[in-house]
Amino acid sequence: MIDPITLGVIWGALGSIAVEIGTTVHRTAYSEQAREGQDFSVALFDRHGRMVAQGPYSPGHMGAMSFAVRNALAAHPVQTLRPGDGILLNDPLLGSGHFPDFFVTQPVFHRDELVGFVVNIVHHTDVGGQRPGSQGVVGIFDYFQEGLRIPPTKVWREYQEDPAVIGIIAANTRTPDRVLGDLRAQRSALRVGERRLVELVERYGRDTVFAAMEEILARTEAAMRAAIRAIPSGTYTFEDWLDDWGPGTDPLRVAVTVTVAGDTMTIDYAGSSPQTPSGLNSYINYTRSYSYAAAKCLTDPFGPMNEGALRPVTVRAPEGCFLNPRPPAGGGPRALICYRIFEAVLGALAPALPERVAAAASHMANPTFGGWDRARGRPFVAYELVLSGTGARATRDGCEAMAWAFNAANIPVEAQEARHPIVVERFELIRDSGGPGTFRGGCGVRRDMRFLADDGKLTNLTDRQRFPPWGLFGGRPGRPGRTVINPGPGERVVHSKASTEFQYGDVISFQQAGAGGYGDPLARDPARVLEDVLDDYVSREAARSEYGVVIVGEGIDLRVDEAATGELRRALRATASRAPSPERSDGVVETPGR
Amino acid sequence: MAYRIGFDVGGTFTDFVLQGPAGELLTAKRLTTYPDPSEACLAGLDALVARAGIGWPDVAQVVHGTTLGSNIVIERKARGVGLLTTRGFRDVLVIGRQKRYQVYDLQIEKPAPLVPRRFVEEVTERVLADGSVRTPLDEDDCRRALRALRARGVRTLAVCLLHAYLNPAHEQRVAALAAEEAPEMTVTLSHEVSPTFREYERTSTTVVNAYVMTAVRTYLEGLAAALRARGYRGRLFVMQSSGGIATAEAMARFPVRMIESGPAAGALMAAVYGELAGVPDLIAFDMGGTTAKLALIEQGRPATTTGFELHRVNNAPGSGLPMNIQAIDLVEIGAGGGSIARARLGVIAVGPESASSVPGPACYGRGGVEPTVTDANLVLGYLNPDEFAGGALRLDPAAAVRAIEHRVAEPLGLAVAEAAWGIHQIVTTNMELATRVVSIERGRDPRDLTLVAFGGAGPAHGCRLAQALGIPRVILPAAAGVTAAIGLLAAELRFDVARTWVVRLDAADPTRLTAMYEDMAAQAEAVVRDAAIRGPIRVLREADARYVGQGYELTVPVASGPLDGGALRDLRRRFDEIYAARYGYASPTEPVEVVTWKLSAVGAAPRVALAKAAPGPGDALKGRRRAWFPETGGWTDTPVYDRYRLAPGRTLAGPAIVEERESTTVLPPGVEATVDAWGNLIATVPRP
Repeated sequence: MIDPITLGVIWGALGSIAVEIGTTVHRTAYSEQAREGQDFSVALFDRHGRMVAQGPYSPGHMGAMSFAVRNALAAHPVQTLRPGDGILLNDPLLGSGHFPDFFVTQPVFHRDELVGFVVNIVHHTDVGGQRPGSQGVVGIFDYFQEGLRIPPTKVWREYQEDPAVIGIIAANTRTPDRVLGDLRAQRSALRVGERRLVELVERYGRDTVFAAMEEILARTEAAMRAAIRAIPSGTYTFEDWLDDWGPGTDPLRVAVTVTVAGDTMTIDYAGSSPQTPSGLNSYINYTRSYSYAAAKCLTDPFGPMNEGALRPVTVRAPEGCFLNPRPPAGGGPRALICYRIFEAVLGALAPALPERVAAAASHMANPTFGGWDRARGRPFVAYELVLSGTGARATRDGCEAMAWAFNAANIPVEAQEARHPIVVERFELIRDSGGPGTFRGGCGVRRDMRFLADDGKLTNLTDRQRFPPWGLFGGRPGRPGRTVINPGPGERVVHSKASTEFQYGDVISFQQAGAGGYGDPLARDPARVLEDVLDDYVSREAARSEYGVVIVGEGIDLRVDEAATGELRRALRATASRAPSPERSDGVVETPGR
Repeated sequence: MAYRIGFDVGGTFTDFVLQGPAGELLTAKRLTTYPDPSEACLAGLDALVARAGIGWPDVAQVVHGTTLGSNIVIERKARGVGLLTTRGFRDVLVIGRQKRYQVYDLQIEKPAPLVPRRFVEEVTERVLADGSVRTPLDEDDCRRALRALRARGVRTLAVCLLHAYLNPAHEQRVAALAAEEAPEMTVTLSHEVSPTFREYERTSTTVVNAYVMTAVRTYLEGLAAALRARGYRGRLFVMQSSGGIATAEAMARFPVRMIESGPAAGALMAAVYGELAGVPDLIAFDMGGTTAKLALIEQGRPATTTGFELHRVNNAPGSGLPMNIQAIDLVEIGAGGGSIARARLGVIAVGPESASSVPGPACYGRGGVEPTVTDANLVLGYLNPDEFAGGALRLDPAAAVRAIEHRVAEPLGLAVAEAAWGIHQIVTTNMELATRVVSIERGRDPRDLTLVAFGGAGPAHGCRLAQALGIPRVILPAAAGVTAAIGLLAAELRFDVARTWVVRLDAADPTRLTAMYEDMAAQAEAVVRDAAIRGPIRVLREADARYVGQGYELTVPVASGPLDGGALRDLRRRFDEIYAARYGYASPTEPVEVVTWKLSAVGAAPRVALAKAAPGPGDALKGRRRAWFPETGGWTDTPVYDRYRLAPGRTLAGPAIVEERESTTVLPPGVEATVDAWGNLIATVPRP
């Protein structure tokens, strides 16, 4: 039995190793999405291939990671591994569901004995295929059109890059400098993590570290089980919709049944739409990732994240549905689906855990661009991430402009413009877009980008343009989003998943949906409405019509007319138009799009 | 002449040190006053000068450390602060970098922006990423925006326009227009405060500068005037976060540079103690009531960083306000005497929550029921209940025992002493992880370093921390409780300038670089000379470099003198070496570019000269008591020494306890400590 102090020390050290691996990726990466957006994940595994520590990055890769490592080791058994080997894979079924995510698993040896694995995964800029950025939706009927597929392959051997493998990768991407640079960042990060794990083992001894890893998994699992046990046992269902899977297509149904039975939770997506002949499919590991993330948020958010936390949760989706497609289904743009998976679980458990959930968030836009950079005389591929507001909560507003299930950072305008033929003309919150409620949803974010490029190709990737983010317990949905080219008179609306061309000098405007509200807007503290009006998040008109708050005055000398507000709110409650929205038993307000 | 005074305002106490011509120190402590901390400062200074029996004209230099700026920000106290941005970017502060700092917590909040939207105006203009002007500044629009802000009561304006770090013309023109439209308005420009790319971080830095400017200026001017009125003839100097001091006048323009000035002084002082002991590579370990601060010192100089965050939530990266300033690279964690211990998941967890001074640790007897590190140290016999904090407080050992018993020992099935030992160990472990961040993660092996342990609680944990990391030697300085104030007197006069100019090393023009560095040197030296310091001015140069295509840089020293092809090749080689040490591999065939060129002018300020120890009469062994050491089987009869009677050259063998007014040193079994000529204890820690 390991003493509590040594266990605490080793536990902390494993976490700090994971952080250090992540910091190294972040600081040595080349692509904007890795170094600025932090679209990557890192973890530490024990010698049996079980995740024991995870860094604080994108949870999307986390649920997949355990499976990816097992798949890497199935292809390259432990006895064939040498110190400094790195097993790369990006196969969608074996990894996290799309080609741009490169998983690398590196064994760690201490005096010739395997002591664990360090792992990272980075979303690479481009791996070839039909569209720049390899995330097309339309016209993809299988993954062979999405670029280079890499089965588990040693990309470096005993600390040396394999030139043949590197050469094949370089030959299959539109952006070899970035992809190879980011791969070097992955290599540095794993080297740093390897050194630290060896130091830890050197200091405490293998047996102690192994025993600590067992304890960590066991205790995390016990804590997770206790947290699940605190949720009333039962079956909870929810359904939500993705707008469609390309221009002229039908909505995609996300149906979930969450069964809480004692200390276990099963998340089942039976009833969801079948897999699509497009890029829009979520391979099972990706579906797992965001289901686990949601379960973690609602149970033991501050507890450690490792394989122990995953054990009490089972995720299922019928084979052949778009949340568990059969190869070779396309999957490039699957990041679009993560919010819906995550929020479906939140929505299902809202009646059981009203204090913990949040209303639906705005949706990110994750478009990719390609074309000819006239000024620099070279082709370019750029990636963008427009993250918007999050849903309101039981006791507080949603956050403005904050990553949601997909945890990443934005790309600074000054960084984006330094490398690409882009001039960002606006990056701002959209007034009156946040779903009204006792607590308001975060606003939608607008990012307008002018392209000084020829032969421009846009692969749009966003959602919540038909089905707005839902509110909870009387909170209203957020305003739907839109994408347009050259906003203003004569603007051209672009479908949320369209692949389209653009001209030199065009402005592409991503206007994201607002997030859902929580609770009756007529119960919102008028002082908070006044603050929102003062800061122009809410117009005076919307303060009246949505919140029943009458604001008088000029400039910034505004105040609430208490008497008129009381009267207006009484009238609004009485009128038929403000009759309670068709509210379901789970508290979700039906939205007009349904 | 030659008297110097340092005074450091902390959250609870203001510390004072007066140093006489022979290096002798007179120290004092006084409760910090609110809302005007200068009340305590002036009262304390008057008392100190009177005690020394000198007059203000005899004082040659006064150096001040304060966290005033940091407090104004955390309490959101400033009024009338506005922001002017490029059209389309009024939400730069609200949006930030958007990453969730706690991945799975759905209830997190972002820090409230220092300037709400109602005090933000946009202006039509646009500079591109190559510094060219796409849209000229619309002066009518700018005048409109300035008038609108003025009408809303804005008196301090931050101006941050896109790419101004490359082309400041529009920001400069905005300042000129502001002087016409709103002459009473104080204007601060992003390219002056922080000429580096990434608009959110630069705006955040500029806004913090504007935010604290009025209060800092008023405060420093008031303090300087009060000192002049008393007959002080010198300048008032202020400690910057970088560890250099500058005149109050220089800081009134760039107050963001002194946002965290107290902790920097502690790290500096650690370097001085290292110098006395002849060791240049150190870890400064400052453990107070609420937090512990760790800093790496190499070749006698504390490591610095160009970016840190103010007021993180639970120390989570990304949760605070980022600032691009030169700062001593401190890692601060919630581990102090007041850190609360509890049983969690079957193990002991300590901090980051603190019992602070109200209610305080259980043993303070002020209503605290949760066990703290101080309670554990008392139960372990390390602290003297009758002589804590100079005898100002009597500790209640029974209350400490009860708290540990109920909250930690019983839930975990441990005996009280074992639980107390566990708390002591776990808090040491937490600090160990922070110590790793400043050492191992920077490629420094702690086994090659010396720990300097100070602050109220530092000397009780220093040797254990050293043991945990294999650090062979610990310096336990005399007067540990006022180390930061002493550090103010150890600071050099320093002014830093930086220029963003992205240059590939294989295509750099050495003549232009040399000219740029000469220009920067002239600018920085002028500020240092303005302080009326005689003697030579040293110039230090560094470059932040990266492989072409990366987004973050490593800092590489730049040799002095004119830059030629050879010097640039050396720079390149040095970069590869530093990169490989930190990240495992270098890429010698990849091109390297420098992003930011940095220069510091350092004036030869008088350095602190510590007096030799003059031990008091009588036997240093003042008694014995029972203290817990696992190496000797638990409870151990342990000698207790009076630090003020320890003569230089005296050697103590652990287990031993050394008491002084402001702190207590614990020497565990196996540790041997020698008293040096200045009264510092130099402990040798055997490998575990």
